[in-house]
Amino acid sequence: MALRNGKRSRSGQGFELAMMSPALILLAVISLIPFFSIIWMSFNDVSLMGGLSFDFSGLENWQRLFTDPDIRSSWITSLIYFVATVGLEMILGTLIALLVHSLVRGGNLVLSLLLIPMFIAPVIVGLLGRFMLDPSHGLYAWLLQTIGLFNGNILGNVGSAMVAVVLMDVWEWTPLVALIVLAGLASVPGDIIEAAEMDGARYPQLLIHIILPSISGILLVALLIRAMDAIRFFAIIFITTQGGPADSTKIIPIRLYDIAFRFFDLGYAAAVGISMLVFSILVAIAFVRLFKRQETTS
Amino acid sequence: MTNRTPLPVRIAKAVLLAALLLWTLVPIGWMVLSSFKPDNAITANTPQVFFKPTLEHYQALFSGGNSLWSYVFNSLTVAGASTFISVVLGCMAGYGLSRIRLKGKHHLAFWIISTRMAPIAAVIVPLYLLFRYLYLLDTYTGLVIAYLSFNLPFAIWLMTAFFDDLPPDLEEAAMIDGATKWQVFWHVSLPLMKPGLVTTAILCFIFAWNDYSFAQTFAGPNTQTIPIAAAQLLTQTGIDWGKLLAIGTIVVSPMAIFGLLVKRWLVRGLTLGAVK
Repeated sequence: MALRNGKRSRSGQGFELAMMSPALILLAVISLIPFFSIIWMSFNDVSLMGGLSFDFSGLENWQRLFTDPDIRSSWITSLIYFVATVGLEMILGTLIALLVHSLVRGGNLVLSLLLIPMFIAPVIVGLLGRFMLDPSHGLYAWLLQTIGLFNGNILGNVGSAMVAVVLMDVWEWTPLVALIVLAGLASVPGDIIEAAEMDGARYPQLLIHIILPSISGILLVALLIRAMDAIRFFAIIFITTQGGPADSTKIIPIRLYDIAFRFFDLGYAAAVGISMLVFSILVAIAFVRLFKRQETTS
Repeated sequence: MTNRTPLPVRIAKAVLLAALLLWTLVPIGWMVLSSFKPDNAITANTPQVFFKPTLEHYQALFSGGNSLWSYVFNSLTVAGASTFISVVLGCMAGYGLSRIRLKGKHHLAFWIISTRMAPIAAVIVPLYLLFRYLYLLDTYTGLVIAYLSFNLPFAIWLMTAFFDDLPPDLEEAAMIDGATKWQVFWHVSLPLMKPGLVTTAILCFIFAWNDYSFAQTFAGPNTQTIPIAAAQLLTQTGIDWGKLLAIGTIVVSPMAIFGLLVKRWLVRGLTLGAVK
């Protein structure tokens, strides 16, 4: 170790820097320029009519952001969507991981099959959702009708549309949570569990006192990753309901897209975008803190 | 262990597992199956399980003036280019970041990861303006830049995590033998990185191939990718489900296979190395 450090400091770190610089310069160009332009845009009235024009408007977009009832309702919709999707994915994903982990045979094959939705493009998930729920010939629509649970256009009704888009997200991303939790379960000390079983502990007790505490760190990682993605992606809703009916699924990214590319109010869209960035940076900070803590403990 | 599991528990597990597999696989299976159905079987009021299979939807996609080939070509070009650049630069940067001793290294790492986590909708707005200004709308360059914005930071982080795992002994031995740092990287570390490189490349490719939001905003008549072709069929009056399901099958199948190929390293990849 001493040799390694000595060698390192004598030869300097020019090589490491040289290896990093092409990627970092490129990343700086493609991330900082948009970053500063979005900030500048948020203080302007940006118009695309007859060429690009900036018209400084001070804090106007920001004032609008904090008083606009549409934005407020979109944040609330987003919140409901986040809590429902991320919550369901965490619970279901953990259950699936426990189930797959307990399989003696075929666990690998089952896991492979369960993972497939993760690789499917969100636009295809949306398309598939529309196909399965189509009121006149969708398989799931027919099923719900036959058992008498729901009769009508699922994606066209206020409550059911939200349930549907949440379930599509859950369908696509629960496997990711299951996969992460499964990785965590591998680290649960088997001898402790065996000892506890010898002492006559029942499964619920094992779960609460041994298994869950030892995977709590990994559960948190899964939670943060899903929380980040939940605000990052919007393609499923974009393709299925476009935020409707009656704005009932208009989460904040969809609202932002509308403001920017339907009403071409790019300055205001920039302000909304920054508020989203702030939110995701807060989650990112939590993620990195957690990551560092994991590193020091392991 | 198994023999001790009581029968009711085993039955409950089997039922649960069956339900899970149905929930996961029925939509995919139904899509693939229906893509081989004639139109009247797709739009029948009751689900049709028995039918005379046909390739007409696939044939319709790949023939005629608006053939899917150009979309496939665009998708391969853009996803391929962004993957290649991300893996090469990301591998170099990942090695550098893993080996460098730098004050405030975690700030640098945080900045890199924060660019990856940025909400897509928020990134699209300034990029749209810049691309319009620089005449990059409807160009491969524009789309590749857009995809690099999420693939490059991803590749850097993931490769850093892989290089962090490499035991330093081999590199030190080579250094003592008088190898330069470049030789150590090229001849010692890189050959051990094959799983890392393949995983990174496959995941970058999947992310770019599956993208809809960026392509929807930045692509034009000359650069539209397959997900855009799917979405276009969806917005037309009177949805052509047959074609749509065929496109869906074409978009999904290769990515599912790719994804399962790197299953072993998937956790690593999708948690950016936070979980080992």
